[in-house]
Amino acid sequence: MNVPQPTAVTTSVNLRRLKRVGARPSFLDYLVSLWDYRHFIYYDAKARVRTGNEQDKLGSAWLILSPLLNGLMFYFVMGILLHSGGKIKNFVAYLIIGVFLFQFTTRSINASSRAISSNRNVIHAFKFPRATLVIATNVRELLSNVPVIVTMLILIIILPPNEQISMRWLLLIPIIGLQLIFNLGFGLIMARLAARFNDANHILSYGMRAWMYLSCMFFSIDRFAGMPVVKSIMEHNPLYQVLFMARETLIYNATPSWRSWTILALWAFSMLAIGAIFFWKAEESYGREL
Amino acid sequence: MDVSSDLNFVECSPAVVIDKVSMTYRTTSRRHDSLEQKRSKSSRFRRLQRQTTSVRVPALKNISLVVGHGESVGVIGRNGSGKSTLLKIVCGQIPPTAGVVYASATPVMLGVNAALLPALSGDENIILGCLAMGMSHAEIDRKYDSIVDLSGLESAIHMPMKSYSSGMASRLRFSIAASIDPEILIIDEALNTGDAQFKDRTLNRMHELLDQASTVFLVSHSLSTVTQLCNRVVWLDDGELLFDGDPLDAVKAYRLFTQKFAAGDRIGAMKLRRRLIHDLEVADVLNRNDKRKSRALL
Repeated sequence: MNVPQPTAVTTSVNLRRLKRVGARPSFLDYLVSLWDYRHFIYYDAKARVRTGNEQDKLGSAWLILSPLLNGLMFYFVMGILLHSGGKIKNFVAYLIIGVFLFQFTTRSINASSRAISSNRNVIHAFKFPRATLVIATNVRELLSNVPVIVTMLILIIILPPNEQISMRWLLLIPIIGLQLIFNLGFGLIMARLAARFNDANHILSYGMRAWMYLSCMFFSIDRFAGMPVVKSIMEHNPLYQVLFMARETLIYNATPSWRSWTILALWAFSMLAIGAIFFWKAEESYGREL
Repeated sequence: MDVSSDLNFVECSPAVVIDKVSMTYRTTSRRHDSLEQKRSKSSRFRRLQRQTTSVRVPALKNISLVVGHGESVGVIGRNGSGKSTLLKIVCGQIPPTAGVVYASATPVMLGVNAALLPALSGDENIILGCLAMGMSHAEIDRKYDSIVDLSGLESAIHMPMKSYSSGMASRLRFSIAASIDPEILIIDEALNTGDAQFKDRTLNRMHELLDQASTVFLVSHSLSTVTQLCNRVVWLDDGELLFDGDPLDAVKAYRLFTQKFAAGDRIGAMKLRRRLIHDLEVADVLNRNDKRKSRALL
């Protein structure tokens, strides 16, 4: 059986005024378009904060309840059963800072990695730079984290031994700012990976847990005093630095060293740069179903 | 493929150029009975054990079209013939597996699938949708009332979208999507939603949009809509182009084709299909600005 073929007519067209549909813009144009979509980012983030816990009876209270219960559990297991915080001064506050601040990163990165797959219908419906979804996710986590941070500070103040409030506490703002930038960069990388391989989400949840244990959430880095190499590696973990700097500021009345600021800032900004480029490279593919 | 020698010049630059676009979906299939498996007398149970296999489904096979300014192209074809896939590729929602689409402006899809956030109220969804389309706050303020009017939702506009009936939701989506005036407009079955009252209103808005847009792609199963609104019809079947030309001729051939199918005359239908493909002329796109190619022509 011969298969008929249509006649091909060579058609000469002038493509000078035409652009390839769906073509990814240059990186700088992409950044500019992200700025143009800032209202969308903010509106989306705000709307989702408000509706995020709507199905729970306790609603937004879960934002504060879940780190609180988490902290209680760690206090029971680590503080009372295992005595892991034996030598740490003001272990309760130490633990609270660890649990509450680490949760910010865990939630941000988990949500970022789902930002593409859970918004596929919005991606199909409208044409906008896809990185706005990841940025909106991080802004949403920041907004919903504000009451969490306030709760953390109140707990540190009221739980014995009480801490003195000082002007130094304002340093918490740049620390969390750098943490946000780091989360965003890491989230952009995860978003692209999870958009292509859904399995990345499963690996991520284990990875984040391992990372949590390695960030000195409930033990002191002094355990590794005898092993300078291990200690030095641990100190270059950006999230360890976040927790360490916050503890120095809030509990130990000390200003974090320049070394700490440098490590964290380098991590945050290089992560953001790498993440943005990595995400932008696959901009054309996010509409594709798995 | 027998390449004809005559060269077709498109004088002014076209609005949309679809150049050898193919699309293959990869999905899973519960059963995959290859010939060997059928021949080997393995039991049904055995065969069912090898449950899911990965299969490739070709949705579009090497489609080329050149569409000029001022043309409104109706796309017809049976279910699963690749109509929606073609439109999604033209507006850039999904990247094709092979081939390229060029356009003189950003094509905008007008459909009822503009999915929004179900937990938000209708008015919030309007703002979010407009922001997602790149409007400024001032523009949204200007268009907000006309969007609400077109949707006809009245006081329900302040309730969360998850409480809407499916008709109400698609009316809202259509109204949001129809609030911009694109140069290249792509319409996917959008005329068929809503009750009679809404249909009148959408039809009015649709005619406004059609007047403003210079180029229109329209997918519809309603052949009368296609003949009314389009001056060119493209007929897709099984991912292949069967016809490209005058709407009345296309609809006549299409009716004949579907009648043969309905009467169970598969052989007659396939004969018609082969004849149509044989008579078809497709564009082999050549970029006039591509120096390498033009030198080869000389």
